[in-house]
Amino acid sequence: MAVALLSLAGVFLAFYLVAHNLGWTPPLLCGTGDCGIVQSSSHAWVGPIPVSAIGLAGYLALFVLSLMGLQESMARSRLIALLLFGGALAGVLYSGYLTYLEAAVIKAWCRYCVASAILITVVFAATIPEVRRIRGMGSG
Amino acid sequence: MKNFYVVLGVVAVAGVAVVWWALQGGTPVMEPVDLGEITDQELVDLAQGVVYGNEDAPITIMEFADYQCNHCAIFALSVKPLLDTDYIETGQAKLVFHDFPTGLFPHSFLAARAARCAGEQDQYFEYHDEVFRTQMDWGAMESAVGHFRDLADGLGLDGRAFRRCLNGNKYADVVTANRSLGERIGVTGTPSIFVHDGQMLNFTGGYNYADVQRVLEAVGSGN
Repeated sequence: MAVALLSLAGVFLAFYLVAHNLGWTPPLLCGTGDCGIVQSSSHAWVGPIPVSAIGLAGYLALFVLSLMGLQESMARSRLIALLLFGGALAGVLYSGYLTYLEAAVIKAWCRYCVASAILITVVFAATIPEVRRIRGMGSG
Repeated sequence: MKNFYVVLGVVAVAGVAVVWWALQGGTPVMEPVDLGEITDQELVDLAQGVVYGNEDAPITIMEFADYQCNHCAIFALSVKPLLDTDYIETGQAKLVFHDFPTGLFPHSFLAARAARCAGEQDQYFEYHDEVFRTQMDWGAMESAVGHFRDLADGLGLDGRAFRRCLNGNKYADVVTANRSLGERIGVTGTPSIFVHDGQMLNFTGGYNYADVQRVLEAVGSGN
């Protein structure tokens, strides 16, 4: 349940950045951060795709998977638990890389990116108990 | 389980509301903004150019330029230094730079704002020169924000203040007004150079040193 709620929050967060990257919204509401610098750097894009769109796709996938895992028929699905764990782990690793870019290459911080990095880390942490449960079932 | 879906619904509604609110914020900074109903006098007051040289010099060289136009770079880097030596340093004339982002290039408006932001720290023309000098570099970039920030750092500007200025909407209205002023006095291309002797505005017809010198000499001799 926590994964679903947190992933949904991530969907909105990433959507806001996608909207900005695609020019649907003017300057980010950034306050004291350097969101504009980060979001307009070359690192904010992977070819023609905004990094935020990758995040949006990831959060959407985690959200859908977590909802599926809440259905009675799939509540004990090993596959869904592993997909959630793996997807969140990939998100954490990619967010770590992006955080490194902010710190060492772009030298500017975007509060939305930092928030997303924290969010995906919490999502990842929330997937661990289920994986442990499955491992327990397997070994027992 | 029912409670969970209630919470999920609340999060969804809250998320939509927050994103909708966030998408309303701000105004464009990469292109001219709407100045609304503005009188000629208000436009002139807002469209302040940036003065280079002695403010009290009797003759004014008015330049309307686009930071991403290569002819403007030629004027800035090749012609302006000659004018500087022959007319500005001698106190005969001053140059007033007016932004005229033509709309033909993606980064012109931002470059003009960036230069204004540097002007807040009294380095307008140092920054102006660097922007033109590196035009080939940033002109091809997908985003020039990082480059403009680097130029500010290179000149030793307060980077945080510069970024605050650039990331916000500062000078979007001033740059827009400069362009509108140029349009009202007949600027159709860049660079457009005028010579003003306090009474008449004389269009030089070209931006080469000889073009500008001819009008300056004519104005200076009272012809």
